[in-house]
Amino acid sequence: MTELILQALFSGVLIGSVYALVALGLALAFGAMRIINLAHGELVLLAAYMAYLVESRTGLEPYAAIPLALAVVSAVSIALFMLVNMIRDHRELNSLILTFAIGIILTNAILLAFASDMRTTTSAFLQDAVSFGDVYAMRGEIIAFALSLVLMGLLWWWLKASWYGRAVRAVSSNRGAAMLMGINPTRIETVSFLVAGALASFAGVALYTMSVVQPAVGHALTVKAFIITVLAGVGSIPGVFLGAVLLGVTEALTVTLASSALQELAGMVLFLMVLFLMPNGLFGARARRG
Amino acid sequence: MVRSAIASATLALALGVGLPAAQAQEKVVTIGAHMPLTGSLARSGQTFNEGMQVALRMCNAASPKVQVKVDVIDDESTPAKAVSAVEKLASSGSVAIIGGYGSNIVGPASDASDKLGKVYITAGAVSDELTQRGLKTFFRINNNAGYQKGIATLLIDLKPQAVSIIASTKEAPTLLAQGLEKDLAAKGIKVTVHKFDPAITDFKPIINKIKLQDKPDIIMMSAYENDYVGIIRAAKVLKPQVKLMVGTWSLATPKMYTEFPDLMNNVVGTSFLPFPVEVKSEEGRKFAAAYQDMYKKEIEYLATLSFVETTLLCEAIQRAAEAGTLDKGGLADEMRKTDRDTMLGRVQFDQTGDNPNFALSMGQHREGKIVLVSPKAAATGDIAYPAVPW
Repeated sequence: MTELILQALFSGVLIGSVYALVALGLALAFGAMRIINLAHGELVLLAAYMAYLVESRTGLEPYAAIPLALAVVSAVSIALFMLVNMIRDHRELNSLILTFAIGIILTNAILLAFASDMRTTTSAFLQDAVSFGDVYAMRGEIIAFALSLVLMGLLWWWLKASWYGRAVRAVSSNRGAAMLMGINPTRIETVSFLVAGALASFAGVALYTMSVVQPAVGHALTVKAFIITVLAGVGSIPGVFLGAVLLGVTEALTVTLASSALQELAGMVLFLMVLFLMPNGLFGARARRG
Repeated sequence: MVRSAIASATLALALGVGLPAAQAQEKVVTIGAHMPLTGSLARSGQTFNEGMQVALRMCNAASPKVQVKVDVIDDESTPAKAVSAVEKLASSGSVAIIGGYGSNIVGPASDASDKLGKVYITAGAVSDELTQRGLKTFFRINNNAGYQKGIATLLIDLKPQAVSIIASTKEAPTLLAQGLEKDLAAKGIKVTVHKFDPAITDFKPIINKIKLQDKPDIIMMSAYENDYVGIIRAAKVLKPQVKLMVGTWSLATPKMYTEFPDLMNNVVGTSFLPFPVEVKSEEGRKFAAAYQDMYKKEIEYLATLSFVETTLLCEAIQRAAEAGTLDKGGLADEMRKTDRDTMLGRVQFDQTGDNPNFALSMGQHREGKIVLVSPKAAATGDIAYPAVPW
């Protein structure tokens, strides 16, 4: 039983780190602009297909697709932001509808461009098993985990120490006051969307290396990212990581100790419990003030 | 693709206007089809559509007096869109409907079709409940019993002591897993079923349970394509001491080997054709040639299912049209008269609309080829056992 639980915990942490990578971009846009980008999963998916494109056409490892994924997803992110920025009234609600529609358009564009076949890496290097004592993982999962930690650290540093990061937090905290301090909110929001797009690019490539992608998975990714963002509490980057790992571990333990059919249900129960007991999320504003 | 098919049919009709009087007697009958061309089942829907288009081309060529054209609507892999597609197709003059994919979609869509008095045929829904509703216009060529029989025959012949079944909680895989559990347990084989939600992507916790607790001889996957990849990949990482990996639909196909060569070798799945394709019947050879001509690829599992159902419907329509009963509700009667050999074997329809003769062989991936290994009467080679992909 110990061996089973150890493997479940290990698998949970690894899958949680990828959930975190997917959720980070959504959390950033949500924190900075109060916009829930319901097309975020499709941006991740787009990056995953760039990885497929590069691997299938050139035979290179999927991570070689990161520059292409960054370019394509950033361009789409900017276009997305320009559309969202045209909304004048009821921005939060209307942006939900707009991004949801864009998500559908992106899914079908991917379907047209890449067909409906499922795709995943064929790299033997990334699929090889790696063992740490009695626990096992694919090499691709270990790399994705490390990538997630590094990007999390970089984002944390960027938000804390850079001028743009502080400006993002200022706009997020009080848009009007930030303007009075000489910050151009539109420019800062553009940067936030760009960074969110960059994070989606890394997440998509990582996802392609360890999971199966097909056009329909974008929406599921958005839902998972949204759950994690709410679990974490708005504006908390470490919270995103911990929330994602908590979700991953809960799912893996549910499979091991109960039934795999209950995995998604366990995630939703966790989500509802946190909302009920801690309405601001695990690391939301009130908790941080405390 | 849909547009081009409709455009071709329209062009054919337009050209027909100027033909000589002898050909002006040609009757054009429209049928409808709802297929999941987008959404989560898009891959299945698009392949179904290909098989259907080839079948109509061949059927129309064989019987020029009654030409059958199809209007296709994308049901977006959702039941509500499928129902509305059926209503729209019926109101625009379709005499029958070819159904989509998935019991949860075909169920309400065929209900709607029955209420409108339209014959409905499917090759993509195997739930037992569908034929227990007493619908007079519902027909299907494949069913859960056929898949169950094919897999159970293989597993029982291999005489394992224990089998672990990994089953998706979707309707058809669950039904199949339940049936197999019963069949295998009756033969004294220890069976453990692990159900999983279709949303999960990491199968390592399940495989680890199988490895450390079940310790089976065989892992049986009652699931779909993306699940197979996740399950086999997890098994490749954890390497449970099993002797064989067995799956169900859409697994023993050349496409799966081409796309996932590292995962597929020695894996067994339901099949009715070896690869390289060896089609014994004249009809099969014509289908393979026409499919290659239209889509530049080898025939595959779902396209063949769709080809067979469409051919049977088309022939029934032509018979009813020639007998003058098509407008008088005679199509369902003609469907019930169906009794012919097809690429899937003999097809008849019983009172519930089901095909009691449906049964599948089992094929094993072997270095890019697919060898039929069970039942013995259909086998093209011996099974490699024990043999796993890692």
